[in-house]
Amino acid sequence: MVKTDTKIEEEIRAIFSGDTPWVTIVWDDPVNLMTYVTYVLMELFGFSKSKAQELMMKVHTEGKAVVSTGSREEMEHDVARLHEYGLWATLQRGDQAL
Amino acid sequence: MTSEGFKRHGSNSYIAEFAQNEREILINLAEQIIELLAERVDHGHEDPLAAMVGITSHDSPPEDEVLHRLLPNAYQDQADSAEFRRYTESTLRNKKQAHAMAMRMYLKSAEDGIIDLDHDGANAWLGAVNDIRLALGVRLNVQERTQDELELLAPDDPLRGVYIVYGWLGWLQEGLIEALMDES
Repeated sequence: MVKTDTKIEEEIRAIFSGDTPWVTIVWDDPVNLMTYVTYVLMELFGFSKSKAQELMMKVHTEGKAVVSTGSREEMEHDVARLHEYGLWATLQRGDQAL
Repeated sequence: MTSEGFKRHGSNSYIAEFAQNEREILINLAEQIIELLAERVDHGHEDPLAAMVGITSHDSPPEDEVLHRLLPNAYQDQADSAEFRRYTESTLRNKKQAHAMAMRMYLKSAEDGIIDLDHDGANAWLGAVNDIRLALGVRLNVQERTQDELELLAPDDPLRGVYIVYGWLGWLQEGLIEALMDES
């Protein structure tokens, strides 16, 4: 039996478990208008106005918010679309500290 | 600045009227974004297949602060970010240029100053105006300066004019978003 360290084991487990361990984070930015962030979240993710406003307020008051969760590929797609509209977004594994 | 901004007309029409000087300012700003993005030339296109599928040789962020803000990192991790950038940056640049070109085209073809956007046109316009505001925001250092400091820029400070345009674009953007959200 090949001995692997815990980190690799976790990675492999995540791949086979079908978990969706990646998240897209939008970060606070002093330029982007609050209404613009709300509108972009509604347009790109189909959120209701109240859901989009809730996320926007989280970004504004806490400095960041998770706006979507899914596979790494899906999150890369989401980040690319957010960048297209100038929002400051990154993706990372969901189990990493925010 | 005399324009009253965008107003909604019917189900898919957002109209604004701009004075000649406002139209010229907007055209000029859109062109600056187009040119700035074009400066980030892809090199290393020796591999025609890579070029065809949009893989660029850029794996580090632009040194220019404005370009860096327009083409940000997708990961906090540098290695992941570099890899992502190599495969996606040219697509992002093309999309941003397309937004600015659409905005420029609307303005150029509106000799009477009347801009009539449909929903898709409005989204492109919003993206372009936002990129312009991001660029001006870097130059104004809005990250570090408070609103009060910006309001108190001396009349002879060259940034004073930039701040006025920045504020006007924000107002214009806000009005268009309100008109768009009116229907939802």
